[in-house]
Amino acid sequence: MANILIRYGFLALLVALVVFFSVATSGFASPQAAVFIFQSVAITGILALGVTATLVVGGFDLSIGSVATSAMMAAAYAMIVLQQNAFVAVIFCLAIGALVGLVNGLIIVYMRVPDLLATLGMMFLLLGLQRIPTEGRSIAAGMTMPDGSTAQGTFSPAFMAIGRHRFDFFLPDLVPVSVVVLLILAVLIWFFLEYTRFGRMMYAVGSNPRAAELAGAPVKAYKIWAYIISGVFASIGGILLAARLGRGDIASGNNLLLDAVAAALIGYAVLGASKPNAFGTAIGALFVGVLLQGLTMMNVPYYTQDFVKGAVLVIALIFTFSLSGRTAR
Amino acid sequence: MITRRTLGKFGLALAAGTVLFAGPALAQDKPAPFDKPGDVKIALVRYLSTGDFFQAYLAGVEAQAKALGVQLQVFDSRQDAALQADMVDQAIALGVKGIIIQHGLTESMKEAAQRAVDAGIKVVAFDVNVENDKIPQVEQSDRDLARLALEQAIKDNGESWKAGYVYVAGIAPLDRRDETWREFKKKYPGIDEVAMFGTLDNPIANSVANQARSVVSAHPDIQVMFAPYDEFAKGVKIAVDEAGLSSSIKIYSADISTADIAAMREPGSAWAATAATNPAVVGQVSVRALAQLLAGEDPGHNVIVPPTLITQKDLNDNDIKNMEELSAKMPQFAHADVAMPAWMPNPNK
Amino acid sequence: MATMFRIDGLGKSFGPNKVLDGVSLDLFPGQITVLMGANGAGKSTLVKIMSGVHAPSAGAMSLADQPYAPSTPAEAIRAGVVTVHQNINDGVVSSLDVATNLTLDRLTGRGAHLFFNRRRNRREAAEVAAGLGLDVDLKADIASLSLADRQMVGIARAMAHAPKVMILDEPTSSLSSSEAERLFAIISRLRDEGVAILYISHRMSDIRRLADRIVSLRDGRITGTFEQKPLDYEGAVNAMLGRSAEATAVSVRDGGKPILTVSDVRLKPQAAPFSLKLHDGEVVAITGLVGVGKTQFAETLFGARRAVSGEMTLDGQRFAPSSPADAIRAGVFLVAKDRAESGIVADFNLARNISLPFLDRFSFLSVVRKRAEREAARRQIQNLAIVCRGERDMMTTLSGGNQQKVMVGRWMSQPSRLFILDEPFQGVDIAARRDIAAKLRANAQGRATLVFLTELDEALETADRILVMSEHTIVGEHRNERLDIDRLLAEVAAGAMKGAA
Repeated sequence: MANILIRYGFLALLVALVVFFSVATSGFASPQAAVFIFQSVAITGILALGVTATLVVGGFDLSIGSVATSAMMAAAYAMIVLQQNAFVAVIFCLAIGALVGLVNGLIIVYMRVPDLLATLGMMFLLLGLQRIPTEGRSIAAGMTMPDGSTAQGTFSPAFMAIGRHRFDFFLPDLVPVSVVVLLILAVLIWFFLEYTRFGRMMYAVGSNPRAAELAGAPVKAYKIWAYIISGVFASIGGILLAARLGRGDIASGNNLLLDAVAAALIGYAVLGASKPNAFGTAIGALFVGVLLQGLTMMNVPYYTQDFVKGAVLVIALIFTFSLSGRTAR
Repeated sequence: MITRRTLGKFGLALAAGTVLFAGPALAQDKPAPFDKPGDVKIALVRYLSTGDFFQAYLAGVEAQAKALGVQLQVFDSRQDAALQADMVDQAIALGVKGIIIQHGLTESMKEAAQRAVDAGIKVVAFDVNVENDKIPQVEQSDRDLARLALEQAIKDNGESWKAGYVYVAGIAPLDRRDETWREFKKKYPGIDEVAMFGTLDNPIANSVANQARSVVSAHPDIQVMFAPYDEFAKGVKIAVDEAGLSSSIKIYSADISTADIAAMREPGSAWAATAATNPAVVGQVSVRALAQLLAGEDPGHNVIVPPTLITQKDLNDNDIKNMEELSAKMPQFAHADVAMPAWMPNPNK
Repeated sequence: MATMFRIDGLGKSFGPNKVLDGVSLDLFPGQITVLMGANGAGKSTLVKIMSGVHAPSAGAMSLADQPYAPSTPAEAIRAGVVTVHQNINDGVVSSLDVATNLTLDRLTGRGAHLFFNRRRNRREAAEVAAGLGLDVDLKADIASLSLADRQMVGIARAMAHAPKVMILDEPTSSLSSSEAERLFAIISRLRDEGVAILYISHRMSDIRRLADRIVSLRDGRITGTFEQKPLDYEGAVNAMLGRSAEATAVSVRDGGKPILTVSDVRLKPQAAPFSLKLHDGEVVAITGLVGVGKTQFAETLFGARRAVSGEMTLDGQRFAPSSPADAIRAGVFLVAKDRAESGIVADFNLARNISLPFLDRFSFLSVVRKRAEREAARRQIQNLAIVCRGERDMMTTLSGGNQQKVMVGRWMSQPSRLFILDEPFQGVDIAARRDIAAKLRANAQGRATLVFLTELDEALETADRILVMSEHTIVGEHRNERLDIDRLLAEVAAGAMKGAA
């Protein structure tokens, strides 16, 4: 009984929430609303999937929020100031994400800085860095540059399509690009972690690095790769953010970070996994999305939503560390 | 409230008076200490800085400071109330002659501002009430902003409609805009507020978009969204576009930026109108009010910068693409004759 | 002489695992009793019971003829039984200065002052230091002291309680010989002051220097007490390593062609170089006391560390693995010592633990073929008679012996050229140990097998040849057939003594 509760408790709770909101509010149970829930969690969900990779190798990445906002700034800068096309902007962002991940990994693995501190430092560094090129201005088409001239570039239509295009799915114009990206990345990282030998080794590295090393795994390389994955995912989140907002906003991304970490940690409780896992992370993100969508539709003020988010996280962590731990012993 | 408004008018009259009296003086002989402006150091201590409004405000402060030839030091607390208070002390320690406090919380800034005044430093406050008679309050008139936008909403949609309202309590300008919204609801009982939401989680537009999506799914019959802050309006617009409701919902907001102009001018944009004080002008006025204090003149206790209504139609008719063109083509937006004694250099010329 | 501390029929079990079985031991004032025992003999459990960390399952203790049953370490210290732990840094707080460390236990508990007074603290610390003739700067940070000085600080603090009994658990294991000398001087002084001392070590040099009396512990029982002068050191080693009559003799085979040759390898800069050859089909054991370089050698062969000098060849090719992955590719596998720390991945089930090093061989286009993986696991479960419900059992549900079988099975699941096992019988019950040894011998053809064992019995039951290691070099070689046990034991013990001289 306890086992069933631990395994399926969170999924059951998710279903119960959906049923509750469907009854309590009109308009919750519609394909558009369902798609929207995915859309609202797409960016944090992608960040959460990235941070899951670092959690798997026993690390942590606090810089994802600021990587995302830096990527957003970078995309806007590439197109509006440097007048590049959408493709260049996207590549530029991904490269920044990968580079930040690589630097994080090198600092943690070779300089032996604890992961939380290294990525915290990186977070601050990026917060400052994203302001430097425009001297603290947000980037929008026609903006005034520090030297007084007007930026000539615009967000290219192809790039805006990332934020605005919708694919037909039974209904016309239903599924936005961001949701498709989320689903693809979720499946990719899930498959990678669960089915490939690299994913398996990453779990081994996280659980017992010495054993993994003595089994022939290049432990340091795996750790660095985990941070690169995290950085690239965060930059993809940033690209989607830029495409949705249509400009580059100076932002800390701290809320993105907190929501993403919450989703990944809630994921520990899904299916009683008690460990970071991609499926759980996706469900965790969805859980938060359903909750916020439902509460907003019921006109619950925003500050209670933070409270509810926190409560869900605490309950999920209790699920993970107390209940499932007890039955394992 | 009424007293405040009268005070405001009094302040305006005073400011206007100053302009008149200072008229005959030649622009070249500036009063001390501006005869040697290079020795004058002033500080801008900011609470909010994210968003184009605050960027433009800073640009205005910088422009006016440059026109006066004074040194400007900018402190940015990034929404950390305690840090902002510390920064005032830092500015005092740096030996500045004047401080502009930009936003913040009354509780945390009241004493810091008093310390600055006690240190013989002239202080003006923008959009934060520091409850000090010696400190002039520079205000964009938030009540006028809300009023202009809502009057346009009544003009466009009649006197009865279903409304969604974006609001976060505890932020002074939003609270003042909220007062006007309450008055309007009382005055026009046909306005039915079916949903109220809002958040300052950043990026704000993204978070508000997520909320607004939920709200328009729950209440697809909403006709008017009152989002009296452009980051809110931007988020609502994203949500309305995503929900495919651009033709049935109209958005009325306050504040404006280059990005907002683009958003308002998109074909079929739901963003109908915004009332705005040019943040650059507010920045200029803040510095001018401080300069007047330093020169021993009195800018008045409430220095109010009047707003302008900007509709989608205005933008399209004049083919306005950015803030510069807005200033050029709508001159009432480019300059406000507030805190403008004759010796004061006009940065817009 | 009056007994200061008496242990009477002490027993301790962790679950079904009996760690101490009827241990009786007396300690006398002004005498140093050395307790010798191999890993897993139960020494640390005995220390933990005496110092109040664990409660005994059976038996009783008395201190100066009063019943003694401490329920916490603090209670033990108050009663007058203090312990200096093996890990020096467990005894001191490295972020505090010497004075605070010397008086640390006065900062808590009843009667401690509410406020920290630096002057009072220094004054008290100076008294404590003087009590032991300790000459260190009281204002220095612990982190800036040598290991020996830190040890002294730990001991000085313990001495401030005027203990009746002092337990030292391998105190010299991280000290240089000159540092150890200083420690010995202090211990001798404590003895002269009438403290009953229990000194735990397997360093023969320490033992020869200090012991008034030696007690050997083996498999949770006292197997020998030596107090006749001159002390019979070989007898003590013998009792500690054990040589039970029922040890099953193996049918010794000679190896085929050589697989591994080691020429003039030095494991440490000061150590003597050694050479050896391992042949196809033979099982060779390397035995020796703890800390003589067995694990270093195993890790050198496996690419986890590098030899100081020397050459190795594998199948005639130069062999110098730069990483475990390198060694595994060459067919050199290691079942590492201490499975919990360096073998088992606790989050993985049995099958995943077995496939871990060979995931590439179980994968197609990098996707793990779970069916093949499970099949391989099932083969090893059958092969080694692992007791479990199935290949998807979590490791934590298995007994120690079966966990070890999984570790051995992991590396037996693929053919190897050189199969190395470092202390494979640690924490393994006798049945599982025999299973593993039998399996090692049964499928030994086609590879060389090298087993590192501290316990002589285990070597006698497993190997065709036994090499003796001491002071990081090989000091003896024996064919496991009518071998001269006395000479072998002498090599185990004497090598150590020679090194200390």
